[in-house]
Amino acid sequence: MKAARRSPGEVLPLLAIWVPVLVSILYVVGFTLYTVWIAFTPSTLLPEYGWVGLKNYVAILHTRNWNIAAANIVVYSVCFLALTTFLGLLLAVLLDQKLRGENVFRTIFLYPLAVSFVVTGVVWGWLLNPGIGIQKVVVGLGWTDFRFDWLVDRDRALYCIVLAGAWQASGFAMALFLAGLRSVDADLMKAAQIDGAGPLRTYRRVVLPTIWPIFIAVFVILLQFAIKTFDLAVALTGGGPGISTVLPSMVVYDFMFQRGLLGRGSAAAVLQLLMLVAVLVPYGVFRRWQTLKAARNA
Amino acid sequence: MRSTRIAVYGLVTLLACIYLMPLLVVVLNSLRSTPDIFRNGMIGLPHGLEFSNFTEAWSGLCIAEHCTGIRGYMFNSMMMTLPATVISTFFGALLGYAISLWRFRGDMWVFGIITLGVFLPEQMKLVPWVLVLRDLGLYNTVAGLVLIHVIQGLSFTTLFCRNYYVGIPQELMKAAKIDGAGFFRIFWRIVLPLSPPILIVTVIWQFTGIWNEYLYGVTFASGDHQPVTAALIALAVTVSEAPKYGVQSAAVLIAAAPTLFVYLAGGKYFMRGLTAGAVK
Amino acid sequence: MNPISRRSLLAASGAAVISQSAPRLARAAGKPRVTVITQWSAGSDGAAITALGELFTKAGGDWQHNPVPGFTTDMMNKLRAQILSGDPPAVSQLKGPEIAAWSKIAPTVNLDADVAAAGYEKVVAPELIKLHKPFGHWISLPLQVYRINSIWISKKAADKVGVTALPKTWAEYNAIGEKMAKAGIQPVANGGTKWDNGMIWEIALSGISPAAYRKAVMELDAATLKGPEVLAAFEQTRKMSLWMDPNTASQHYSTFIPKFMKGDAGMLLMGGWVQGVYKKAGYQYSDYMTGPAPQDNGKPAFDLNADAFIFWQRKEPEFTAGQHLLAKLVMEKDTQKMYSGITGSLPVRTDMDLSDPTFSDAQREASASLAAAVKADQSVLSLAHNMAQPNQITAAMIDSLVEFVTDHSISPKKGQERLAEAVDNVR
Repeated sequence: MKAARRSPGEVLPLLAIWVPVLVSILYVVGFTLYTVWIAFTPSTLLPEYGWVGLKNYVAILHTRNWNIAAANIVVYSVCFLALTTFLGLLLAVLLDQKLRGENVFRTIFLYPLAVSFVVTGVVWGWLLNPGIGIQKVVVGLGWTDFRFDWLVDRDRALYCIVLAGAWQASGFAMALFLAGLRSVDADLMKAAQIDGAGPLRTYRRVVLPTIWPIFIAVFVILLQFAIKTFDLAVALTGGGPGISTVLPSMVVYDFMFQRGLLGRGSAAAVLQLLMLVAVLVPYGVFRRWQTLKAARNA
Repeated sequence: MRSTRIAVYGLVTLLACIYLMPLLVVVLNSLRSTPDIFRNGMIGLPHGLEFSNFTEAWSGLCIAEHCTGIRGYMFNSMMMTLPATVISTFFGALLGYAISLWRFRGDMWVFGIITLGVFLPEQMKLVPWVLVLRDLGLYNTVAGLVLIHVIQGLSFTTLFCRNYYVGIPQELMKAAKIDGAGFFRIFWRIVLPLSPPILIVTVIWQFTGIWNEYLYGVTFASGDHQPVTAALIALAVTVSEAPKYGVQSAAVLIAAAPTLFVYLAGGKYFMRGLTAGAVK
Repeated sequence: MNPISRRSLLAASGAAVISQSAPRLARAAGKPRVTVITQWSAGSDGAAITALGELFTKAGGDWQHNPVPGFTTDMMNKLRAQILSGDPPAVSQLKGPEIAAWSKIAPTVNLDADVAAAGYEKVVAPELIKLHKPFGHWISLPLQVYRINSIWISKKAADKVGVTALPKTWAEYNAIGEKMAKAGIQPVANGGTKWDNGMIWEIALSGISPAAYRKAVMELDAATLKGPEVLAAFEQTRKMSLWMDPNTASQHYSTFIPKFMKGDAGMLLMGGWVQGVYKKAGYQYSDYMTGPAPQDNGKPAFDLNADAFIFWQRKEPEFTAGQHLLAKLVMEKDTQKMYSGITGSLPVRTDMDLSDPTFSDAQREASASLAAAVKADQSVLSLAHNMAQPNQITAAMIDSLVEFVTDHSISPKKGQERLAEAVDNVR
């Protein structure tokens, strides 16, 4: 840094920005490189510093769990992102209608985030269990044909995790959207209304474009939620029936700590990050293309 | 117009009921005795109200040798969560402000890399953190846990704040710069007053995330310095025995109280029209 | 923030700044002392370890227990972190073949002299000796034992179909199952956790042939894994899986105890710990029948699960003194009686008198069957409870077993092939 030639008033901001920035970058890059490296080593219970080439990757890619988990995470992420974004936006727009008791409603939609995931996962397990939960209650009320047994259906249990995940995360999406909505200039909204735009039109034409960056924050947060989903799934399905609902984070944890194969678990973690890169890079390219196009049009 | 209002209230209330369903089960179970739950099933109405679950969870419950309930663990969690939340929110706001409004060379790269931090899975970071804390001499200390949560939290708080601050009109910045205001002056006088909605969002995120974190909490803290999640897990995860669901439910409700308080108290910071006010 | 950041910067960049961890509080010098890491924190497990600590304190020691609540893996994470930071606990919980695996990553304490002094080796099941004396030296000590192959029959269900005796063979078991199914009772009571599902197959195989179990599961003998006994175990497991409650996801088995006690579900295969659950719910010994699970060859067999302590080497003399003191205590009859009395397990020693009222009839019967099974050379180690194989092999085998149990479209033949494949992949 060229600090020496600057006045103290200029040095302080530089320090305040660059120290946390460097720490963050070291953390992200350092930890990632460390994992990439461990994935090439024969590490088992402790990190070891040998070299086994791609052996860990080959082993992971031949594991049934990983292959099921890799397919599951795609389905899970898409469903979870769609449902949670929709719910989050819906709730935010509803709460933006100057409701009485807004504070209480907001807390109700946010509370799932506050309660220990391990416990709510177990409770969802009961609710979704056809023998003791919602199905039993509804059947008991007289609707004897009612069936809601996704949890014990190997092809549908994954959607139960989607439901519970959306329940847990949509409140936070709502809070972010709401913060965005509240940052929209009130004058802008008034102007739109004076122009005769209905509420839906106002949202679509005026509000949503303004809060576009918030959408990105929501997507990023939900995507990381999806990729990291662990506690809830472990408590809700434990990967079952059988191993039909395992997710990559569970495979990573399983290999690293349960099976005591740090090298193999790290390989799974790197694959997990690569799947993410496969989503983020096209997005980055798309954004780049958009900016270039905008610049050309300008 | 009136019917739309009714529809809005109806829909919000319906959704609220669905969201409350699991909580209802927890609340009901917190009022049931252990034999009641085991005999009559996990979901059901209490046969007589059992408030002793709460007193046991708060002050009687044994975690191994320590029969002092979860209150001590609540305090431990507070000592870790408060500083980590405040520090990470502050720096997140500062970085978000610098990246969005005080553009510098390579700012998008910096932002991109910091944002990638949100995707690193906890499992993958556990061993590296052990090594880092060991080398810093912070293993088994509260400071070590705070450090972890601040560094990890920066990725989130920066992301939230940056994406909120890009919405602040550049004219505001220009006007301030013409007036000769510096980096911090603009931050304090212009950006922070506009920030309450997003700051409460980042506080909610950080507070709940750190409060509910478990893996690091038990790995990096020892014995009676462990966070409240350790106590909750002690009640929830038993391999052979069945958990005491009544006490567990009460403990969960008590442990969730501080976070719920943050949500309720944060409510007044969700107000509209701040930007408009500042421009005029 | 500043000094910390600079330091973390160094550390994260890989520079090895090796600093000593903060000095510990000064303690009374010379007093025997142990630091202990276990996952036992709540319920009877927590009560038992607390009582052990009190015993240790009474014997003049300084007991410092650091529970890591949660799954065993969480406890292992803590242990790993402590070892990595050069501060292993004096004693930690660990079980099965993991004792041998972990003993390779950090030095352990040689307890041979302590074991010899107590004459302990003569009274411990030979299967357990191998596990706790992995490379020719005692480095760990078993603390308590459970029998996995126990059967529990709901009295109400039994009365409904006129069953008065426990099934001695799988054929008898199946006959009772069919009677119950006809009477509208779910023959098999079960939970849906992985270990629960895996355990059913394990009990089937050890009940068909303990010798085949030993070869297939404990020695991973390829021919036996593909042999007729293992196939028979898969067939028996398929039968039982069709008799299970289809409405179990990953719920803990205790979730379905009310159903079992009401007589809506008939037979439960589970270790002795289930008695604690019955007791908590207020059920009596007269509400159920219990004994060993079916055994086709008629001789007593015992599928072992044992919790244990491993002793980690520390330089401090007070730790060494503490470790030997704890080792001595753990081997004593009174300690084992106290411990098993609290948790409902069985003492490790096979020479104990259990006529004391602390024990139940179920415990007495199971404990006697351990001694008898040892004599008949029919004691085996549990797969689902991480006693038979290191965790990486166990996990692979259990995965293929739970798939078989939950997916009824897999034929027993196919299930057997998949298990053999899973073993080949991790061998």
